[in-house]
Amino acid sequence: MKKGIRKFRRQIELQIFALLGIGYLILFSFIPMFGIVIGFKAYKITSGIEGIFTSPWVGLKYFREFFTDYRFGELLRNTIVLSSLKMLFAFPIPIILAILISECRNAPFKRLIQTASYLPNFISWVLVCGISTALFSQKSGVINQLLIRIGVIDSGIPFLTDPNRFWGLAVVLSIWKSSGWWAIIFLAAISGIDSTLYEAASIDGAGRLKRIYHITLPGIRGSIVTVLILSIGSFLGGGMVGSNFEQSFLMGNSANNAKSEIIQTYAFKMGMAQGRFAYATAVDLIQSCISIVLVIVSNIIVRKVADEGIF
Amino acid sequence: MKKWVTEDRMVDIVVYVLLILVGIVTVYPFYYTVICSFNDGIDLMKGGVYLWPRKFTLANYQLFLGDADVQHAFFISVSKTVVGTLLCTCFTGVFSYTLSRGNLMFRRVYRFLVVFTMYFSGGLIPYYILLKELHLLNSFMVYIIPGMLNAFFVMTGINFFSAIPESMIEAARIDGAREIKVLSRIVFPVSKPFLATLALFTAVGQWNSWLDSAYYVRDNNLRTLSYKMMTIINQTISNAANSDAAGQISQANTATSFTVQATAMAVSMLPILCVYPFLQKYFVQGMMIGAVKE
Repeated sequence: MKKGIRKFRRQIELQIFALLGIGYLILFSFIPMFGIVIGFKAYKITSGIEGIFTSPWVGLKYFREFFTDYRFGELLRNTIVLSSLKMLFAFPIPIILAILISECRNAPFKRLIQTASYLPNFISWVLVCGISTALFSQKSGVINQLLIRIGVIDSGIPFLTDPNRFWGLAVVLSIWKSSGWWAIIFLAAISGIDSTLYEAASIDGAGRLKRIYHITLPGIRGSIVTVLILSIGSFLGGGMVGSNFEQSFLMGNSANNAKSEIIQTYAFKMGMAQGRFAYATAVDLIQSCISIVLVIVSNIIVRKVADEGIF
Repeated sequence: MKKWVTEDRMVDIVVYVLLILVGIVTVYPFYYTVICSFNDGIDLMKGGVYLWPRKFTLANYQLFLGDADVQHAFFISVSKTVVGTLLCTCFTGVFSYTLSRGNLMFRRVYRFLVVFTMYFSGGLIPYYILLKELHLLNSFMVYIIPGMLNAFFVMTGINFFSAIPESMIEAARIDGAREIKVLSRIVFPVSKPFLATLALFTAVGQWNSWLDSAYYVRDNNLRTLSYKMMTIINQTISNAANSDAAGQISQANTATSFTVQATAMAVSMLPILCVYPFLQKYFVQGMMIGAVKE
């Protein structure tokens, strides 16, 4: 004990740094966690922090209200469908892109394309949304103009306002924004593959496609599994492209609302726009609970397959 | 042997064609935005502008950058990015260095608390109430203080700093250097790759964020460029939805709400496009140090 105190005093400066950081985390991360209780209370924003403790309990009232809301089915469907579609389509494309880049033999061209490919990852969703209006807008979008010019269609397709096109649009934009970024991880894995394997295979007469299939793909299997598991944990947020909220919020409009509104945006609007803070907290909490379960599941899988050499 | 060579050529062709396609699909939207910003607004409405401005003009830029509100928003965005990045880099850097020291007491508890916050959060509403109670809402500090510690980079930083040999630090301590001096003279200078990556990602995040300006401030003097752009885009969309009207903004200028939007977008992506080629290495590093950790 005495020894401990002496050691503590000797590293007092380090301890002060550490405690400052921890104090910060307590304030900005842990205190809001206790705030979750307002989902079970009749809380009013005017009662401030105090109100978190003093407001009367209402039990599961808000949860029941959400489950019986006429929009509940629709919100749940949109959230799950969007997440699944992104998982299904946004997952293989970075792998294919990484293989294409690694198969390219012209080094400067290869570097150029790779550099370009992850540029969209660094611009905001607001910009992506703006770009999508420039490209897809019904009257002035460049894609509609082009399609009309070459005679494929007679009048513009309402990509941005047609509810039935929202899911497709969301997935395409997610792929555009983040494929190059995720390809980096697979490219690193490919460059880690022993090059003598390729030489041996080509001496044995394996063509390029065979080498891709029998050497490259098995060689990056570990990374593929890792990324897949990590995206399970963030499934409801949009997986590795993680953009459900921003997309639905920025690109949702009154026309496509039936397909674009998800649980998170609904909770946000209920809280911030309508001031129903307790209700919004309850709705948000439902999604958080599902996410936590998914995180735990993915962590269990990580432990199970960790022996198989993830990184 | 013959079959082999043809397959080789075929794969080459497919690879080049697809990669060129990827290049076009990635770059063209940026390029198109820029040419729209340099094109006359009314002229653009006639359609047919694909590769370069048909009727070149700087009117969009004059209109957009001449707006005092926009200038102020630009100033706020720059200050928020600079101040936010400096503070976050220092605080996160110092904190993760501290937790990386093998002899630090309670370091397991500290690390556990950090990891915990990466997986669990109180959600938006309790966080909003907290900001309100701390009187951070509607002040410049709401952009800075809540984002000062990045848990993800704390964890990657711990990995990075652990590689610095204790003997090097011990030597400095014996010479009587205080912890702050050890950090600034020894630890930080050898940690430039990590700090640069941290600073870069924080800066990009600060520059791009829009939710804070849209919901945590009400004072128009605190709005950021991202927010201004958001309102301009929404306006264009509602213009397009409501009428066939040109959306021409003023009688004196042929700029339309769309060309002004393109200008706003060009201005707002400019800083990222400028630093991108030079700092590319660090952009990639952000992915790789994260990947190794996970």
